[in-house]
Amino acid sequence: MDAQRKIADNELLIVRTFDAPPSVVFALWSRAAHLKRWMGPKNFTCPEATVDFRVGGTYRAMIKSTEYGENWFAGVYREIVPNKRLVFTFTWENEGPSAGVETQVTITFEERNGKTVQTFHQAPFRDVERRDSHVGGWSEAFDKEAAYAAKIAKEHAI
Amino acid sequence: MGDPLSTTLSALADPTRRAILARLAQGDATVNELAEPFEISLPAVSRHLKVLEHAGLISRGREAQWRPCKLKGQNLKAVDDWLSVYRRFWEESFDKMATYIDELKHGEHDGRAKKNRR
Repeated sequence: MDAQRKIADNELLIVRTFDAPPSVVFALWSRAAHLKRWMGPKNFTCPEATVDFRVGGTYRAMIKSTEYGENWFAGVYREIVPNKRLVFTFTWENEGPSAGVETQVTITFEERNGKTVQTFHQAPFRDVERRDSHVGGWSEAFDKEAAYAAKIAKEHAI
Repeated sequence: MGDPLSTTLSALADPTRRAILARLAQGDATVNELAEPFEISLPAVSRHLKVLEHAGLISRGREAQWRPCKLKGQNLKAVDDWLSVYRRFWEESFDKMATYIDELKHGEHDGRAKKNRR
């Protein structure tokens, strides 16, 4: 098995072109009223969404279907460059296989002939800067990660 | 965090551990060899290896001095499955986003959109 490729596959990348300028597509992410109109897979509605759209601000939303019930997720905005780039964390709150696992979403918006190329990336990993700071030594981020690893290790009584 | 997938994802949610796995994808290695590219202590690397071992992502030899680490791939499959759920979540959300953009372009503004809401 090509393990190296498999590891790279743990990151999700979805590129879509929308027939609207970046200012419109960006607004669909930044305002709760807009989010409620499109968030969630087919057969889901998004009846609840609150957004504190600033770096360090949080969002929380719920998607719902008759089959799967209510599913809450939440996160923190890490980077906001209006109409260009958006970085936030994404964590499911419900019980389930991926509950509590923090992922990071990075979206870039690029104008092309009046349309928007949206590049969406999601990974259960930290971003490059923090990765590099890990390699560089015992940064604050690394301490946090080490504490987290220790907590996980303790929970499983290794 | 008790189920196997969460354990695997937690183990992967760290760039150092991910780098260790990438190194092991090229072949078995000792703790010393794995520690070399990182400016972190051997105990820190050992702690990472314990997390990876517990998550079933690596196995380790039993000899006291020479305990080569070996990559185990099966649990990465579970991560693939987890990702496919996320992929569906976003792909279908973006389908709805495109539909919503169409609605917005056809003259619906926030105030009036509500009455046409399905």
